[in-house]
Amino acid sequence: MRRNNPKRELWFAWYTTVIFYNFYFIVFFPVTHAQPPPHPYWSDALVANWFGHNHHGLIIGFGIIFAVAGLTAPQNALIAYSMRRMSVSRVFAWSYLVLYSVAAIPGLLLLCVALSVGALRPARDPAQLHWLYDFGLLSFTGTMGLFLIGSLVWMLAILLDKNRVLPKWFGYLNLCNALTEVVIAPAWIFHAGVFSWNGLISWWVDIVVFGIYTGAFLTQLRKLIQREDFGDGPLPELTKPHRAGASLAGTAP
Amino acid sequence: MKRADGEKILFWTLPVTAVIWVSAFFLFPGFTHPMSPSMTAAQVAAFYRDPGNLSRIRASMILFNWFAPALIPLLMLIVAQVRRMAHRTPILSYCLVACSAGGPAIFLVADLFWLLAAFQPARDPQLTVMFNDLAWMTFTTAVPFLIAQSLFIALAIYLDRPDRLVFRRWVALFNIVVAVALVPAAFTGLALSGPMAWNGLLPFWVKNIAIAAWIVVMSVVIGQNLYQRADGQAQPAAAEAVPA
Repeated sequence: MRRNNPKRELWFAWYTTVIFYNFYFIVFFPVTHAQPPPHPYWSDALVANWFGHNHHGLIIGFGIIFAVAGLTAPQNALIAYSMRRMSVSRVFAWSYLVLYSVAAIPGLLLLCVALSVGALRPARDPAQLHWLYDFGLLSFTGTMGLFLIGSLVWMLAILLDKNRVLPKWFGYLNLCNALTEVVIAPAWIFHAGVFSWNGLISWWVDIVVFGIYTGAFLTQLRKLIQREDFGDGPLPELTKPHRAGASLAGTAP
Repeated sequence: MKRADGEKILFWTLPVTAVIWVSAFFLFPGFTHPMSPSMTAAQVAAFYRDPGNLSRIRASMILFNWFAPALIPLLMLIVAQVRRMAHRTPILSYCLVACSAGGPAIFLVADLFWLLAAFQPARDPQLTVMFNDLAWMTFTTAVPFLIAQSLFIALAIYLDRPDRLVFRRWVALFNIVVAVALVPAAFTGLALSGPMAWNGLLPFWVKNIAIAAWIVVMSVVIGQNLYQRADGQAQPAAAEAVPA
């Protein structure tokens, strides 16, 4: 990234997002085996066996997540920025930024802590290992509202926008993503079947929708950055260089 | 006359809260001699059942619960400084806002687990060990947003206008060093003893000293900017007053 590239901050956020999803996929699928999630109906002994079997993967994999989870911030920043380019109130951008930033704690880090604690002492009482397993996987799967409301905020911004920053079909795809947070709710109730946390609907359908959604928003954000026209001239001079909160770009709030 | 925007008041809350943080740190008996992850269940239970320890655990964790979120105004003061940098978009200030809730909020989760362990010290020692493990693992691995925000600050300085830097270059370098110092803590689950255990050299001493140094250094550079800015504002105001 050239230092003088006028889109440097936007490309930084986009590439960081791609890098984070690569870490996420590698850690959650092949390294920790936390995805696809193991069964919710397992006995204490099977859960204890799972922790013992995945000890190193869980500790190293989630160690990587603890080191890089902050890279989710540029994604939230870039999506918030997309809303700042729209003909809607800045309230949309700020809402999304806060919703998805908070979501990282119950929706990602609690799982990593709970399963790391389980892996730390695989000889722990199996009933306690089972509690940690439920705590981790349910906090990850069952954190719904932050993603639900966040997706709906982005959807509404896209549908109201007159600047055509993102296509309307992508607005409706946000609704599909929001609905995955609705169909996951029965995972708090069922231990087996299509609505359990690794069931056909609650996991497999949702992961397909999430995969398509993620691919679509990465593509759309990339197009947004390519279309941006900041020119390549010098940065605007600040009329009052020391004024707090002085806007440098037309997009700054 | 210079307009008071309140940033200096927020800034001067920091030394006060820093005294409280340091006091709470030394008040918690599990920090002064960091508890080893290799302690037996009986030893962990005895730690929480000791009446002398129990009152100190509760008092220190209640103090942290009250005042750990006071770090957020410091982070917002940094956001305000990044907003003054020569960037074309608010991406990096948004990144810092996104990180700011994470660090203190994860710390508060650890705080809850410590208080839970202390709430019923007579419970099964195995359960006390689990709460103690949850507290220590949450506390020690609570570095992702601290690492990221240090890197974002470094990048923000790198992308700032070289001839009129809001923060000097060494602040960027310092933030990168802090980010690197925090990384080993993410992998503390690897060992129950030695330099990588949660009471070991890297995840405990290096991490906590790096965080303390970061708070002190960033507070000083923010304070310098706030007071320089106030001086800068005073002069044009005086000049305007002459023709009037």
